[in-house]
Amino acid sequence: MKRIWVIFQKEMVDNLRDYRSWTTGLFWAMFGPLMLGGMILLLGNTIRDNVEEALVLPVLGAENAPSLIAFLEQQDVIIEPAPADPEAAVIAGDINVALIIPADYGADFSAGQTAKVQLVFDSTRQSAMVDITRAQNLLEGYGKYIGLLRLSLRGVSPEVVRVVQIEEVDTATPQSQALIFLSMLPYFIIFAIFNGASPVIIDATAGERERGSLEPLLINPLPRGWFAIGKMLSAMPFATINLILTLAGFAAIFRFLPIEELLGVQIGLDIGALTAIFFICLPIVFLACAIQTLIASFTKTTKEAGTYLPFIGLIPSLPGLALAFLPVKPDLWTMLIPTFGQQILINQFLRSEPIAEMNIVISAVLTILLSVIVTYIAVKLYEGERIVAG
Amino acid sequence: MIQVQGLSKSFGKVKAVQNVSFSASDGQITGLLGPNGAGKSTTLRMLYTLLRPDSGTAQVDGFDVRESPLEVQSRIGVLADARGLYPRLTSRENIRYFGRLHGLEGEPLERQIDSLLLLLDMQSIADRRTEGFSTGEKLKVSIARTLVHNPKNVLLDEPTNGLDVMSTRAMRQFILRLRGEGKCVLFTSHIMQEVAALCDQIIIISRGEVAANGSPDDLRKQTGRENLEDAFVAAIGSEEGLG
Repeated sequence: MKRIWVIFQKEMVDNLRDYRSWTTGLFWAMFGPLMLGGMILLLGNTIRDNVEEALVLPVLGAENAPSLIAFLEQQDVIIEPAPADPEAAVIAGDINVALIIPADYGADFSAGQTAKVQLVFDSTRQSAMVDITRAQNLLEGYGKYIGLLRLSLRGVSPEVVRVVQIEEVDTATPQSQALIFLSMLPYFIIFAIFNGASPVIIDATAGERERGSLEPLLINPLPRGWFAIGKMLSAMPFATINLILTLAGFAAIFRFLPIEELLGVQIGLDIGALTAIFFICLPIVFLACAIQTLIASFTKTTKEAGTYLPFIGLIPSLPGLALAFLPVKPDLWTMLIPTFGQQILINQFLRSEPIAEMNIVISAVLTILLSVIVTYIAVKLYEGERIVAG
Repeated sequence: MIQVQGLSKSFGKVKAVQNVSFSASDGQITGLLGPNGAGKSTTLRMLYTLLRPDSGTAQVDGFDVRESPLEVQSRIGVLADARGLYPRLTSRENIRYFGRLHGLEGEPLERQIDSLLLLLDMQSIADRRTEGFSTGEKLKVSIARTLVHNPKNVLLDEPTNGLDVMSTRAMRQFILRLRGEGKCVLFTSHIMQEVAALCDQIIIISRGEVAANGSPDDLRKQTGRENLEDAFVAAIGSEEGLG
């Protein structure tokens, strides 16, 4: 067993000197926090700007409907003359929305007929949605207001045309909207763990074969499987450091970005929650190192390994991305799937939901069990002849 | 002391080694001679436990390669065809790693490394990283790590391959020196002159089988040729692969 330590030590020294590889790994630790921070900044600014600023509405033919314009201006809308071709301007993205009032509007309006106006917008443009909705609501509001006035003049109660009244009860708190962002956290964490281990593993397995040092190494008097174990162990510190750095990065972002100002919520990602997430993710470190050691040992060259491993990290982290849009309840079956259970647990921590301790234990045990199985396969692979031939 | 009895190995349909038997004694140099692809390296790889024989036995100092590979591994020093080093480790660290894998440590290990550095005249490159070493310098590191545990049996696969004239001479001197220390030296070569100049016993392998076996004099008698090169050609039955 002492000789596994010899292998571990050598791989650590060797890999630490290969600073180009492990700094690449470190980049992935920073990737998640930077990405999330950037997204929060961008979206936070968009939300705030749109709500606080007055709606600027370019109008073509404002002179055709003076009372409508007066109504809009009363509602704090800034009326601007629209470009000659509003559709082209919307397509070009110069304006979000434009109102066209045709010349016959006045005649129809006076005759008590339905008068048409056109609202020009692009419904696929997410950043314009706030402006579009506000313009639509204002126009409908004006239509209802005039309609009610007309009914009253004819002696009809407005209640007659109001069959159903909708009272909106939205249970989403501002916090749960912001949590859509946080749901992506597990994805970034798992990705960082896998990518922290992969450069080290590639060098120790496929690199060893490529350099022609694998054969002399395997002639040394120790069970061949120990080499697989020693190499896998030597990747663990790198994966663990990446995990810590990623969590620290997220903590820094939540601490130093004015989240409350940007998203209108406070996020409770304190040291306690981070520590808990760290321990929940530790079994994933084992799994990431085991799977990647196995896969990379099959490959002939570092280049080949370099094309496979990024996908290996992507597969277990993808459910985390999906969780941002499809919430899953922390049922028992989810805990039985390694990495998936942890992602749900992390989400629960972020939402400050009550967590069943049993779920933590089950997900950890299952992940470690799978890691042990994968390690065993890697050991068997090293004991066979294929490892020499590649 | 190496004893091989009826050793066979196939890769799919290719019969790489068929029923090879020979023995190599301590204090002697035994050469496996044969054209490229004759099965020399495969035979050696089974001896140093990297490949498992399909049938037959191979023993090193009485230990079977299949039953007690670890015992065999600690009794052999191998200069394999693949001689890759760790480029980010120094010569000394490369040698020390293998020494530690053999269970050596501390003062005895450091003394052994120092004596090998001295013997191979490589003190000047001892603490340099091996990245960018010349072929000769790399070979010295490989030899040193092969011998770090002072093995009784030394297996060398094409040891002079790719070396210049001076390095080849040094290598031959080194092989003779190992014999002088009473070791059992087994090496492969496709170069007739080299084998003739060094070996106490020559085993000619052709198409995976032993074509002839004996001292240089024996071979001349067996084939009825005065010239060893002619004897070699007669033994393998063609002129293919003469180096």
